Amino acid sequence: MTAQAMLLLTILTEEVLEDILIKEIMALGAKGYTISEARGRGTHGLRTGKWSAGGNIRIEVIGDAALCGRIVERLHANYERDYGLLMFTSAVEIQN
Amino acid sequence: MNFEPVVLFFVLGVIAGLLRSDLKIPGSIYEALSIFILLAIGLKGGVELAKHQVGDLLVDGLIIVLIGAVIPLVAFPVLRLLGRMSRADSASIAAHYGSVSVVTFSVGITLLGKELLDFEGYLIVYLVLLEIPALMIGVILARHGQGQVRWGKLLHEVFFGKSIYLLAGGLLIGFVAGSEGIKPLDKLFFDLFKGVLALFLLEMGLVASSRIAALREYGAFLAGFAVVMPLFSATLGTFTGWMLGLSVGGTFLLATLYASASYIAAPAAMRIAVPEANPALSIGASLGMTFPFNIFVGIPVYLWMAKTIHASGG
Repeated sequence: MTAQAMLLLTILTEEVLEDILIKEIMALGAKGYTISEARGRGTHGLRTGKWSAGGNIRIEVIGDAALCGRIVERLHANYERDYGLLMFTSAVEIQN
Repeated sequence: MNFEPVVLFFVLGVIAGLLRSDLKIPGSIYEALSIFILLAIGLKGGVELAKHQVGDLLVDGLIIVLIGAVIPLVAFPVLRLLGRMSRADSASIAAHYGSVSVVTFSVGITLLGKELLDFEGYLIVYLVLLEIPALMIGVILARHGQGQVRWGKLLHEVFFGKSIYLLAGGLLIGFVAGSEGIKPLDKLFFDLFKGVLALFLLEMGLVASSRIAALREYGAFLAGFAVVMPLFSATLGTFTGWMLGLSVGGTFLLATLYASASYIAAPAAMRIAVPEANPALSIGASLGMTFPFNIFVGIPVYLWMAKTIHASGG
């Protein structure tokens, strides 16, 4: 079986956005996603995750360039201004 | 002055934070503690509520909620005109102050226990009710004809966010079970309450210590507001409780409820509904300033106010 080349889109953002972003991502055509809790510091200050309004999440979506592009464009337009949001892609090879 | 030793745990947490101790309460334990506190308070209220005719409390409840709605409506112009803050920030902070803090309320209850004063247990119902109009008013003030509101998402956040959900759920279970039925749970939820509150306050101290620094950046106005606003609200609460014929303990608790500012339910709801508001401002004021002010200075003062108004007018 040959490995299939795809993009892994990683989104670091605020925990309060979880439900809203998942709805957007699935509506844009993603097949699935993985979420993990995250902590750290960035331009929105220290995010300790100590209580619900102060935590971050990491959302990972695997898809082709077109899907990742659509998600990035939508999130950039709707959430970049007011929320902590960092998105990046990396090349991955799906093995199964 | 009356002093409740449980608040010393808060100091312990603040000092640990300021001195960069490696003390840390894991997130999942913090979650468990907050679930415990919300359920225990809800159960306690439900058991008390079962002793009353619910219909009789409706009018009182309506009055308490309507007068409670005055708080954000006063806070907003003060922040906007005197503090020269943006519309979004003013509205978000106003919502935090109109909304209530369960932990501040809990510290008030433990003080009443120490003073051997009774209170109307059904007041806990108003704790749930007061949360809702404050958040709505905050959003309406922030929007006022500009931009659309995600009402569906906001309402979901308000009613099914864990604070209101667990409080209301606890109330219902306590109400259905009654004081006899709840006996098997007494040891866990009521006897251990103060100890769990102490642990929770330790964590609150740790979090608050990181917020005090943030508040310093925003100057004297907000710090002053965070102290004067609860005193104003508590005065409102004292008169309301006295007018409604509540006991000294009940009057004090209503004043404490009005004076407290939210830092769990309101931040999450406001972040969704008014995203352009800076959360560091509202949380800095409510958690970094008003919460410690209330538990150390405010609560003893509010008890004195309740005793005084009952001694002079009763």
